[in-house]
Amino acid sequence: MKNFIGSRAIPDLVYHCPENMEQLMDLLGHIQGHFKIVAGCTDFIPAVRGGRWAFDDGLELIDIKKIPELKYVTLDGDRIRIGGATPLSMIIGAPAIKERAPGLAHGLTTMASPQVRNVGTIGGNICMSSPAADAVPSLLVLDAQVIINGNQGEEKSPLDRFFLGPGRNIMAPDQVLTEINFPAPAANESQHFQKVGTRDAVVISIVSAASWLKVDNGKCQGVRIAMGSVAPTPVRLPGAEALLVGNSLTLDAIDACAKHASQEITPITDLRGSADYRRDLAYTLTKRTLTACMNDLM
Amino acid sequence: MKMQVQLNVNDTTHQLEIDANATLLEVLRNLTRHQSVHRSCEEGECGACTVLMDGQPVNSCLILAASVQGNRIMTVEGLMKGDTLHPLMKAFTDELGLQCGFCTPGMVMSAYALVNQWEEEVLSDMDIRKAIEGNLCRCTGYVNIVKSIRRAKAAKDAGNWW
Amino acid sequence: MESRETRLIAGKGQYADDLDFPGMAHLVFVGSPYGHAKIVSLSVEKALAVPGVLAVLTGEDMVAHTNPLPVQANFKSPGWTWRLADVYAMPRDKVRWYGEPVAAVVAEDEITARRAAELVEVAYKVLEVTGNALEALEPESPKLYDDWEDNKQVHLKFDFGDPEGAFAEADQVMHITNREGRVTGLPIEARGCVAQYDTKMDSLEMWGSFQTPYLSRHNIAATLGMPEVKVRINAVDIGGAFGLKIHAWKENVVALASKLTARPVKWFEPLKDFIVTGPHQRDVFWEGDVAFNNDGTLLGVKATVTHDLGVESTNKGIAALSIFPACSAVPNMYHWKGMHIEGIGAVTNKSFYCAYRGYGKDKGIKFIEHALNRIARKLGMTPEAIRLKNYIQPHEFPYHQINSYVYDSGDYPGTLNKALEMADVDHYRAEKEKCLEEGRYIGIGVVSAIEPAGVAVPNCQMGGITQARVQITADGTIEIHSDRTEIGQGSEVSHAIIVSDILGCKREDILVKRVTSDYIGQGPLSSRGAVYPASAVAKAAKMLKKKVVTCAATFLKAPEESIVMEDGMIFSIDHPEEKLTYGQLSEKALFFPGPRGLPVEMLKNHDHLLDVTTTWYSPTTPESGSSYTSFCTSADIAVVEVDIETGATKIIKYVHVHDAGTIINKQIVDGQIHGGIVQGIGEALSERLDYDTDGRLLTTSFSTYLIPTAVEAPDIEVAHLETPSPFTETGSKGMGEAPIIGSKAVILAAIEDALSPYDIVVNDSPASPERVRKWVVEALKRQEEAQ
Repeated sequence: MKNFIGSRAIPDLVYHCPENMEQLMDLLGHIQGHFKIVAGCTDFIPAVRGGRWAFDDGLELIDIKKIPELKYVTLDGDRIRIGGATPLSMIIGAPAIKERAPGLAHGLTTMASPQVRNVGTIGGNICMSSPAADAVPSLLVLDAQVIINGNQGEEKSPLDRFFLGPGRNIMAPDQVLTEINFPAPAANESQHFQKVGTRDAVVISIVSAASWLKVDNGKCQGVRIAMGSVAPTPVRLPGAEALLVGNSLTLDAIDACAKHASQEITPITDLRGSADYRRDLAYTLTKRTLTACMNDLM
Repeated sequence: MKMQVQLNVNDTTHQLEIDANATLLEVLRNLTRHQSVHRSCEEGECGACTVLMDGQPVNSCLILAASVQGNRIMTVEGLMKGDTLHPLMKAFTDELGLQCGFCTPGMVMSAYALVNQWEEEVLSDMDIRKAIEGNLCRCTGYVNIVKSIRRAKAAKDAGNWW
Repeated sequence: MESRETRLIAGKGQYADDLDFPGMAHLVFVGSPYGHAKIVSLSVEKALAVPGVLAVLTGEDMVAHTNPLPVQANFKSPGWTWRLADVYAMPRDKVRWYGEPVAAVVAEDEITARRAAELVEVAYKVLEVTGNALEALEPESPKLYDDWEDNKQVHLKFDFGDPEGAFAEADQVMHITNREGRVTGLPIEARGCVAQYDTKMDSLEMWGSFQTPYLSRHNIAATLGMPEVKVRINAVDIGGAFGLKIHAWKENVVALASKLTARPVKWFEPLKDFIVTGPHQRDVFWEGDVAFNNDGTLLGVKATVTHDLGVESTNKGIAALSIFPACSAVPNMYHWKGMHIEGIGAVTNKSFYCAYRGYGKDKGIKFIEHALNRIARKLGMTPEAIRLKNYIQPHEFPYHQINSYVYDSGDYPGTLNKALEMADVDHYRAEKEKCLEEGRYIGIGVVSAIEPAGVAVPNCQMGGITQARVQITADGTIEIHSDRTEIGQGSEVSHAIIVSDILGCKREDILVKRVTSDYIGQGPLSSRGAVYPASAVAKAAKMLKKKVVTCAATFLKAPEESIVMEDGMIFSIDHPEEKLTYGQLSEKALFFPGPRGLPVEMLKNHDHLLDVTTTWYSPTTPESGSSYTSFCTSADIAVVEVDIETGATKIIKYVHVHDAGTIINKQIVDGQIHGGIVQGIGEALSERLDYDTDGRLLTTSFSTYLIPTAVEAPDIEVAHLETPSPFTETGSKGMGEAPIIGSKAVILAAIEDALSPYDIVVNDSPASPERVRKWVVEALKRQEEAQ
């Protein structure tokens, strides 16, 4: 086992800072040895300081945060598009998000601290693929799609097929998440996010949950529920969703759906919370986020 | 790997040779000698090393110095006018918004970003508290810090600001 | 002179990490990844081979070049257990806690030292871990120290008053259990220092975050086997301490590294190191009975408190010492007939125990305040009613409590009544009922406490030693020396106010000097700043004033009783037009006393040197044995809302009324109150040090050890009463710990009140959301079963 060292040295780096996509692709085409793509570095530095990542022989670091093509928030027809290296604070402040996806904006403001949100990127949060990634449940219920680019060409994937396990996803090391996009919610749709941690602010979720509802004439025309910290990856809960869709929206129906959600997840017990507590919170947060959506729409 | 970089700190450009793995925190403390920038957790959790990058608070421990070329960095030294305290700093000393002083420079930078961008008439205490949630303080219980920030806003409204 | 606050806010602090010496090397510690293991082999070759590495120190070096850590408190007494382990600053044979340093790498720069630290090769044979105090006391439990009979380090037994009589006459007895989680004070700055060993003079000088330089000098000199006179310790700006930076431990290794490398050596501790290998506190189990009458009259307590001390403290004996105040604080501010309290401390494979704001006083008071609230509920009384019924009354002071403490002064009913009024308790009680109908749970917590402050106990380094010096220099500026390091608690401002008030000099002409080991004293701990050092400084200033008056009377040719000192000027009330500045007076007194100048007797005694060094000692401690001199009072009222579905607690209102005697500076006192309260809130709601079953600490960072951010901290309404202490020079009382004592108890009391419809006993902290939810779920189950 490794020695306990309070704060470890950052490995020797060769630092690359491509200024555009072309330079990045060129770099990815010929780079040798160990390399890593980073954007905000807000996960990279703690990981090496804490010894979770070690690069004893040094590392080629490719920093993509200065690539303008990866930094944007736009409303493109009916889709909201966010560049992979867009800092969280820029997303929160973007008019398109404020107006069309306030639930996402709220979710992002519960992540880390202002300092981290000013540099940490949406792509970084997704690519780290933590089960507790707080940006992800909101994006899952917005039916987001990710665009991945590399020298093999561009790929698109629904976000709910992106994650493979804690810290694992479908991307190859030489690929970059260039965009995340989702349909801008319409007037008869609403989305909410809530999380519970041991403290209110700057805290990793014990459970985070997002819901999205589409309602016509009091009937649920569409529902999506997603959660973080309740399974090896952030997950959608199709079983619970199926209980609601097509039915009249009532508090009882929401309650039944929330109960199902709490059984559909596969939480573990860890430092932040027990599996039982997580199931319990899954029920409460599903109920609360769905009810909040319903109250917006009915 | 050694690198040549240009670092703009408090409107002064520094031409430096740095290691590629050096954080902005390390370069500010050890090379440009901005020792107001304090080191504690080194993992972006305490906010003691907060500086402004292009006007926004960031944790300098989580930023590679190599990556901030072309950005404007600001520390509390940059808030001073000669020996005169910035009205925000004066507000902190008047309200005793500091005790041990270790978190203070970082706290001041977060507060500066907030008050600078604060155009709306009313900001709730919770808005202020949210803005400094990334700056941990173990001494003050934050009460006098919130007061200091309110006092600073009053100074700004009175035209006493730079 | 620039105030400290102005200097710090301008970024001109001089903290340990800011220290920079020519030729300075850097030291990084290598810790054990196991909670309990034998060191089978340790090789430093690879680390030493790294270019830039100067030395790697190990436990072998400690044995070869140093003495075991010195004893700092020793209470061997018949019928009591008090064991001390023979440990070095780093171990040679066995590690006993996760992170325990086994080597220290010294290199030209810190990054090289950190890299080389990875390469120190240690082979361990893992041993079974003793995970908590209750396990540790089991007969089969693995022993931490081979030469001990078992893992029990301390067992103290106290009989206060007449416990048997109290229980014999009681109408009722209630059984109370209470647990507090393990916590740490965790200032934002960890520890750090620079050691410079002068090989020509064979002397050592250190600068760093020393809360108690005088004691550190003694202990470092003893460890290094040096004459104390060859060691000098200097405190620099300290980024918070709260008790965690008293004395020294790793600092010994830094000093030795400087000696062996003949280089100045700097060590600045990463925060994670500070949590993992730093002082811990609390982690206690209370179990006992409280005897009382049906009308709410309190009679007696029989209780045992078991402490999980972790390994033998690196401040040997100081961990065990904190069991005294835990036991002795139980009577709090009430009349009692008698108590039997036992305090047990067990060693376990966790980081060591040391001082943290409260130091045990908090534990005893939290236990009894919890008990009072439960008794009140059982008797259908309000929490304030039971307190008001049992308070020691204002006319009873000085009051000899059953535990031998001599309470100096106070207005206990007045303090609580003021808090009740400010908190508008009736309104919130009505609100509670209304909210219940909507399924919302509001609770009102009421707690009151005294804080024993200014410790002086025999058989340890906390004997009450203090020394102060006030000097008027020849240019009329004034310097103050004492043992009271500035750790953010306002030492410098307080001292300056005391002296300027007495001497009538200008505040800006005073410099409160950084504390060094040159002046005797145990430093600011146990809220003694306003008791011992402040009294010593005040006493010195008063003595100095006499000299100033004599000199001034001579120079101004006026009677002594006519001399006035104000706003930096000295004059006779008879001739106010003829004024002397302090500079004029002092220069004349020092350099030009002249034949026609000062009285002969004065010259003979050198009384014209305007410089006084003196000491101060408690007037009550010697005869009564009261370990504390001042007892400030506080009443805390908190209103919370508990979300019973998630278990999360939100603080709606917080009121704190304080009586710390004469207030020297209200802003400082308020600041202490705010900060202490929020630390207590952290303890009550979210802070906990969690070890896994292998003895590994899991909560090693600010993202897992959750201290309150600005968002969780409430706004705090504060009011003051000022009942002067008759026993201190200034009438002021120590008050630094009172806020944490009241706040952690009152938050839990408020949660218990909020959950009263479920009859939930809130007797475990932190009351984290998960724990509160668990209580609710269990209560719902109980209610279901009952139906």
